Amino acid sequence: MQPHREDRAANIVLAALCAASVIVMFLPMARPIRAFRAAVAHVFEPMTFAGAEATERLALVPARARQLIVADLEYRALREEIAAVGLLKAERASLMAENARLAASLGLKTVEGRSVLWGRVMERDPARWYNSVMVDVGSREGVPLNAATLGYVDGQLVVLGRIAEVSERTSKVLLVTDELSSVAASLSAGTCGKEALPPAGPCGDNAAGTVEGLIQGQGTERLRMNYLHSEAVVRPGDEVVTSATSATFPPGILIGRVAKGYARDPFLTFQSAEVRPGFAPASVKEVAILR
Amino acid sequence: MSGLTYFRMTALFVLGSLAHWWWTTYLSFWGVAPQLLLVLTFVAAARRGPIPAMCFGFAWGLVLDVYALHLMGAASLALTLAGWLVGNIRRQVDVSSIAPQSVLILLGTWTFFLFTGLLGLVFEKRFGWPGWGMFLLAPVYNCVLAPVLFWVWDLAVES
Repeated sequence: MQPHREDRAANIVLAALCAASVIVMFLPMARPIRAFRAAVAHVFEPMTFAGAEATERLALVPARARQLIVADLEYRALREEIAAVGLLKAERASLMAENARLAASLGLKTVEGRSVLWGRVMERDPARWYNSVMVDVGSREGVPLNAATLGYVDGQLVVLGRIAEVSERTSKVLLVTDELSSVAASLSAGTCGKEALPPAGPCGDNAAGTVEGLIQGQGTERLRMNYLHSEAVVRPGDEVVTSATSATFPPGILIGRVAKGYARDPFLTFQSAEVRPGFAPASVKEVAILR
Repeated sequence: MSGLTYFRMTALFVLGSLAHWWWTTYLSFWGVAPQLLLVLTFVAAARRGPIPAMCFGFAWGLVLDVYALHLMGAASLALTLAGWLVGNIRRQVDVSSIAPQSVLILLGTWTFFLFTGLLGLVFEKRFGWPGWGMFLLAPVYNCVLAPVLFWVWDLAVES
């Protein structure tokens, strides 16, 4: 091919390919093409959708392809979490063994391990909205009376109530918001007042999590925490968790958060606080029963 | 395109795309990997002239466009132009020796980043900035890679 002919041919090819590229840039892409690009990008480079611009990039992807990609990303994240859980399980087993040895050397009664049984909420009585719910597991599945019942809200376990009635196929959960419910609790961030610092008095040693009280249901969406030490500092937003002294619930499970502290009554030796439960009674769909 | 049969061209295209994917996926350090397909387009232009380089550049550009999810057509346009430019420059500059090769690739990589970024600004109202790490390190990476790719090309295609 002569040099000038080659130049001419090169210029023609350049013009054609540049035109093709520009047309591709201008063309609005059809949904199947966008889905194909997203799928190819995800297969060859999954990190494309895992960075800071992931949300923006995923917004351009058609819904079904987006669902698949998000599901795959979640699957990868869960696999990493599961890998970490193996280590945690080993650590837990080691700590439990150590705890059992220490408890045995101190002569303490060891806490028996409990298993979890999940049930679905199948019925709510509108007249007793804040009092109880029915779940679809019963004595046939081995639900014991008075078992602790927990919920899973925003990635955290919360106290729901306890089993009040058991039939063969169903059970009734008495919610912690019921007037008859009470749970031994402590403020996770609670401290005693500075001016009244007993070294190890009824308010404890002033460390976080030592202000004990009793959560009582009111038959409404709010709870009341009574018997708080009169010098305890109660702040709105403080977490209320189950106490180690609770006979039914394991310690450290979230019950709710302090909504407000009631004004101190000079005739009472304790103070009270209003607590917002960690769950919305109307939104409970599954419950975990500890047996 | 003497010596470049359709089979060899297809094999080159597929192997180049796979090598780029493998390198960016498994051999990138601190998120930085060489622009293998850009360097390969330079090599094709230096060895075979503008027409094969533009064809390869366009096809590899489409591959980059598909799996990098940026503006569709940006990389294909940039690599086509790179193939044309280097294919014409080779008459004036000896692109076989290391020094001019490195200067060409250094400048070419920065131009590639700025050009695709500007296309993003024009078409998507967002400058497609690759990040300082990529912008500063990738050209050096490409310069180091270029002699190897020239050698591989001579061995696999020109022999």
